[in-house]
Amino acid sequence: MLHSAGVSTLLSVENLQTHFVTRSGVVRAVDDVSWDVEEGETVALVGESGCGKSVSALSIMRLVAGPAGRIVGGRVLFKGRDILKLSEEEMRRVRGREIGMVFQEPMTSLNPVLSIGRQLTEGLEIHLGMTPADARRRAAELLGMVGIPDPERRLAQYPHQFSGGMRQRMMIAMALACKPSLILADEPTTALDVTIQAQILELMKDLSRRFGVAMLIITHNLGVVARYADRVNVMYAGRIIERGSARELYARPRHPYTLGLLRSVPRLDEPRRARLDPIEGQPPDLTRLPPGCAFTPRCAFSVARCGVESPPLAAVDQGGHVSACWEAAHLDRVPVRSAAT
Amino acid sequence: MKEDAPLLEVRNLVKHFHVGGGLFGGRAGVVRAVDGVSFAIRRGETLGLVGESGCGKTTVGRCLLQLERPTSGQVLFEGRDLTTLDEDELRPIRRRVQVIFQDPYSSLNPRMTVGQILAEPLMVHDIVTDRERRGQRVRELLSHVGLLAQHAHRYPHQLSGGQRQRVGIARALAVEPALIVCDEPVSALDVSIQAQIINLLEDLQAGFGLTYLFVAHDLSVVRHISDRVAVMYLGKIVEITDRKSLYDVPRHPYTKALLSAVPIPDPALEGQRERVVLGGEVPSPLNPPAGCAFHPRCPIAIDRCRAEGPELREIGPGHRAACILA
Ligand SMILES: Nc1ncnc2c1ncn2[C@@H]1O[C@H](COP(=O)(O)OP(=O)(O)OP(=O)(O)O)[C@@H](O)[C@H]1O
Ligand SMILES: Nc1ncnc2c1ncn2[C@@H]1O[C@H](COP(=O)(O)OP(=O)(O)OP(=O)(O)O)[C@@H](O)[C@H]1O
Ligand code: SF4
Ligand SMILES: [Mg+2]
Ligand SMILES: [Mg+2]
Repeated sequence: MLHSAGVSTLLSVENLQTHFVTRSGVVRAVDDVSWDVEEGETVALVGESGCGKSVSALSIMRLVAGPAGRIVGGRVLFKGRDILKLSEEEMRRVRGREIGMVFQEPMTSLNPVLSIGRQLTEGLEIHLGMTPADARRRAAELLGMVGIPDPERRLAQYPHQFSGGMRQRMMIAMALACKPSLILADEPTTALDVTIQAQILELMKDLSRRFGVAMLIITHNLGVVARYADRVNVMYAGRIIERGSARELYARPRHPYTLGLLRSVPRLDEPRRARLDPIEGQPPDLTRLPPGCAFTPRCAFSVARCGVESPPLAAVDQGGHVSACWEAAHLDRVPVRSAAT
Repeated sequence: MKEDAPLLEVRNLVKHFHVGGGLFGGRAGVVRAVDGVSFAIRRGETLGLVGESGCGKTTVGRCLLQLERPTSGQVLFEGRDLTTLDEDELRPIRRRVQVIFQDPYSSLNPRMTVGQILAEPLMVHDIVTDRERRGQRVRELLSHVGLLAQHAHRYPHQLSGGQRQRVGIARALAVEPALIVCDEPVSALDVSIQAQIINLLEDLQAGFGLTYLFVAHDLSVVRHISDRVAVMYLGKIVEITDRKSLYDVPRHPYTKALLSAVPIPDPALEGQRERVVLGGEVPSPLNPPAGCAFHPRCPIAIDRCRAEGPELREIGPGHRAACILA
């Protein structure tokens, strides 16, 4: 069991619902979702593009774009306090100091007219009360730590002068700046080359171990999840459809979507396949979800009941592995790797 | 090697950017984004281009398309040096060399419908002048990339990321190109959609005899799609060879480190795997290290590496590496 009694829960998301009102209808981006992160633990959130991963993280930071977007239900307990109830003032402190966030699109979250240096020193001065000179020294150190060469000179540059990967590293430096107890990392290394990805994830993992920082990693890289996550939540169409320890989930996926994901990626440890084996079809339109299981139209295992009744997240073993699939019990005989090579 | 001339040949390509020294201070310097790159791509072939973030992959792609004018060097496309052509002379060539960008969000005009986006190049390049036939061609393009006729009426924001990338691919196909520079075409997409798009790119290549320069940082994807692979480090190619040799017998220590850093989607395997995590700082293209640019991070560097910049030399049939120990 991963949830031993001694460990306390740092973040607990309970029945979170975040909706967007659009002209074509209400988008249930996060639809009654519950998950948690223990102190010091690394949890992954994976899933289809548009399934609600970023909105989940933004909801925790209370940065969902209003007025269209609204958290309409649930609680987000951080260190026991419901942060959905905090004042904007208190929330700013949580954001700057206690929860660091690495945003998915660095260009939209970096200020294009502020120098790299200024964007880093601002938080250090406000939240840690550093002098401008100390903050500048620390900023250079942070840039160096995330592998940006020539940090001193880079401080004077602007985001557009950085390559995509360097902007991402700059975001990580900003998130780490005030030594938070939780980092929400939304696709933190997607734009990065693998040696830097490995370096940064090792760095984040190392900081997480040394300072007991917990991490939520949102990623579509199943390799990254395999290496770094203790537990994995798989989302589809605004819901969590499978959760388990990383080992269990990869060895015995019990949801056809998870199985499809694992089968669709080329792997360097296996012979090259003539053709990839994708999940066919498109992600569902969240304003027009099909009745029953949202995966039905793409699912190779669906039965009559799937198109009618929505499957609940139910235990598939005693170890905390849960799946929301009517056919979960029959998936244990399906090999994860397709035979065709 | 093959007897026929390559479709594209890049000779000693150099692109420097001048930075700093402006209003906001910072010492002036020259970023050697691309620093003497040479390679050739044969018709119908896919050359994968991998390497560190900031090593110059996108700049190479932009220089091929002449979106960025190289500082020096030649870009020979079907035998003509594009660097010597002016905008007017380039227009017909822009038809033959297309690009698919990483970001399907920002590369499509948000105020145009998918139909208009696809019709535009057909008009600009006078490919289909008749309006009705243009509509027909748009529907054909949509079907090539696995979209439906009704998608023509949608705006980019009404499509998913994968669908937008399909539109980007359809737009590139519209002008019947010979070469497509795919700059991280799948890295912004969800995994299950990535596999669809890669299969699509392969089908289109087989169907239309396309040639690809495939820029990506996912080495598993690059192995899947490429015939040959070039590895760049700090503005230079450090190893280039056919797919099999690169993945089975990599010779440059940077290539070896890259391959060992690829995480394998299997926690049980990952737990036991030995890996070379490169230490050291990523050197700056503003101020590349003397000798071999990789030496500060190289696990096997010797004294000579600090002094001598290694040539990209033939170390086997069709296999070149820039390391004195390779
Ligand atoms: N401002 C908004 N207005 C309307 N809908 C929105 C808005 N922001 C997000 N959505 C919708 O909410 C859903 C969830 O979006 P979210 O960004 O969380 O996806 P994601 O899982 O992070 O996807 P990706 O992997 O592509 O980043 C999507 O269907 C998206 O279209
Ligand atoms: N317009 C510019 N002005 C100054 N420097 C630039 C400019 N464009 C690119 N550079 C620099 O050139 C180098 C190469 O950048 P490029 O975008 O080609 O890298 P890349 O290999 O595509 O990286 P990534 O994997 O992060 O996309 C980087 O150091 C970058 O900062
Ligand atoms: S509930 Fe049915 S449709 Fe949904 S994943 Fe399971 S088998 Fe497939
Ligand atoms: Mg997202
Ligand atoms: Mg690039």
